[in-house]
Amino acid sequence: MTSVRERNGSAWLLTTRGALPLSARENMRRFADDDEVDVVIVGCGAGGSTMLQRLAHAGWRVIAIEAGPFWDPETDWVSDEAGSHGLYWTEPRVIGGADPVPLGSNNSGRGVGGSMIHYAGYVPRFHPSDFSTFSLDGVGADWPLAYDELAPYYSAIEQELPVAGDEWPWGDPHSYPHRPHPVSGNGEVFLRGSLASGIEAHVGPVAIANGRFGNRPHCIYRGFCLQGCKVNAKASPLITHLPDALAHGAEIRADTMVTGIEVDERTGQATGVRYLRDGAVHLQRARAVVIAGYSIETPRLLFNSASGRFPDGLCNDFDQVGRYLMVQGAPQTGGRFDSEVRMFKGPPPEVSSEEFYETDPSKPNKRGFSVQNVSPLPITWAEHVASQGLWGAELRKRMTDYVHWACLGSLCEFLPQADNRVTLAEETDSMGLRVARFEYTQCDNDKALVKAAQAVMERILTAAGATETMTIQRYAHLVGGARMASTERDGVVDADCRTFAVSNLYITDGSVLPTQGSANPALTIMAIAARAADRMIAGGIAG
Amino acid sequence: MTAELGLAGNRDDRFPGFDVLAQAKHWDVATRELIEDRLTTSGPFRFFSRVEAAAAGALFDQLLDQREEPRIPVLELIDERMAKDATDGWRYDSMPMEPDAWHQSLAALDADAVAETGRTFPGLDWDTQAGILQAIQDLGSKRWHGMPASQVWSLWTRYACTAYYSHPAAWQELGFAGPAYPRGYKNIGVDRLESFEVRDVDPELRAGAGE
Repeated sequence: MTSVRERNGSAWLLTTRGALPLSARENMRRFADDDEVDVVIVGCGAGGSTMLQRLAHAGWRVIAIEAGPFWDPETDWVSDEAGSHGLYWTEPRVIGGADPVPLGSNNSGRGVGGSMIHYAGYVPRFHPSDFSTFSLDGVGADWPLAYDELAPYYSAIEQELPVAGDEWPWGDPHSYPHRPHPVSGNGEVFLRGSLASGIEAHVGPVAIANGRFGNRPHCIYRGFCLQGCKVNAKASPLITHLPDALAHGAEIRADTMVTGIEVDERTGQATGVRYLRDGAVHLQRARAVVIAGYSIETPRLLFNSASGRFPDGLCNDFDQVGRYLMVQGAPQTGGRFDSEVRMFKGPPPEVSSEEFYETDPSKPNKRGFSVQNVSPLPITWAEHVASQGLWGAELRKRMTDYVHWACLGSLCEFLPQADNRVTLAEETDSMGLRVARFEYTQCDNDKALVKAAQAVMERILTAAGATETMTIQRYAHLVGGARMASTERDGVVDADCRTFAVSNLYITDGSVLPTQGSANPALTIMAIAARAADRMIAGGIAG
Repeated sequence: MTAELGLAGNRDDRFPGFDVLAQAKHWDVATRELIEDRLTTSGPFRFFSRVEAAAAGALFDQLLDQREEPRIPVLELIDERMAKDATDGWRYDSMPMEPDAWHQSLAALDADAVAETGRTFPGLDWDTQAGILQAIQDLGSKRWHGMPASQVWSLWTRYACTAYYSHPAAWQELGFAGPAYPRGYKNIGVDRLESFEVRDVDPELRAGAGE
């Protein structure tokens, strides 16, 4: 494989403070609407940015269109919880089902860099078993792609972020390019508790450089990773992939909402995208289109791109669009200690265990969960405390104990189910587009995993010396909704992320994942996009 | 500096001498401007009507046990947030959109108070108000004025906690120094404090586990 810098020079293109230079934006190439580019990409998050960088680096003429702003971390972001609301996708949506999943915060992103701007920076790989849960465990789905085909892309992206962590013993054992970061009080409690309870835990993988890497600054352990890293220490596409893309002639068209995919009724080929900018409708022409809008907006865009040929939504001939959407059950358990943990210091997750990731044959449920430390800041912690039913004086008093609490979070592998899906609601947004409706209902296996995960977290915290624990039920991450499959009857795209229905239309975001494991999805989304880009480059432009 | 801004008050002081705003000189410009705005929030209500503001003010005082001045301006912060339409966007299919959920739930709160006592919610004494709120919380997922009570409760507490714990005076109560860029932390780990942090002197704790 080529060296990191040859493959992706982003870290060496940053200012000495690790920022994207203003000149890179000012000198950015700009295409005209009727200039038929090679590829137009919808969405500039984990999947879209990786795609943009790979294609631009290969010499392709590419544009990424992003609904949100082109961030300047120093002026646009704040070291403050409530002030970071603008990082989320807060357009209207409707949620339902027996277990509705709140949106608009930790599971959404808006702006150049997507949700990786405010993600926790935790980037574990999926395990090989995640790619064939149906064959192995009789649940979920088999991917049309094996772990081994993705492994080189995992390594490549881990180098480009870069990732710091211990030697990783789980799944496909591997090491990381940088040594693990020092752990804060919360991680220390986790390590102590896991040792005392006989559970294996390790430090990392955190996508924060721990050593020299181009112009990327060192982490200052300020704990505001979820509010956007003003330090430019935590990896996000804004600093890890877009600088190289811009240097290779890519355009990023921010503050621009794509409203539909144009498909030629005669040839059946995508010809570009319609988008709204400053109130006017435009059409950007392209030889191929890539959608990377994530699990809610990608299906919504396909539905809103219905046409004579695709009356029920683009690529929806077999009623697959929007289905098999998954969230992870993410119970969060706090433990109180007499000593001061001050969990607000350091990156929110630093330590994790994947000991419970795989199916345990001695248990009735299939698949598993991971445990990571999470470190809620005051507002998020107040939500945790209020979820115990506390309010008024009791809430305030319990909150003043903040420095004494450590907190762990689980990611439970909820299974893909056809009826957990996005459809269109009747109501429309300010642009007149129908908004997404998202239904979620947990199955018995999901519920069993959440219970088991809570028990393990309580065990770890108690073994570490916690005098009491309290748990809040939450969800984390979104994947699926336009999954990859072997046939068009089972999914929307093939293993190369090409839609079955339109041969020059691709989807390269989290919505293509058929299963989710118990891992944070960002690394896998980037790896899948990098692989899809390689396949596209090798094949030339489709059509 | 804390006292000048009216941050010191009737709060139990577990972190004596700790001063969040003494750190403000170490905050970056964008963050400092944002928090200064938050400290000076005032002005006429733009989202809540006069009647709604009275009900909401009493509700937030109850939820966060703010019985007297100086108060963290929870009502003002939420009014500002709603006036800017800085909502989370999504809604439960069993609930109206957030602006309507506020209008309806505050009217319903007054309606409950009138039905029970003949007076609107803000005119009631502290314990009667608390009793009405406890009855709503106790409904759990049952309906209350056409909405699931738990989802109304979640809306109220989510906004109230977000406003309250966004304020430096609340960080002061927690021993949390707030913004940390570009300064960062040098001493991470259990029982390791920065020079500007203050150890908890909670008397209950000292009497407790005998550390």
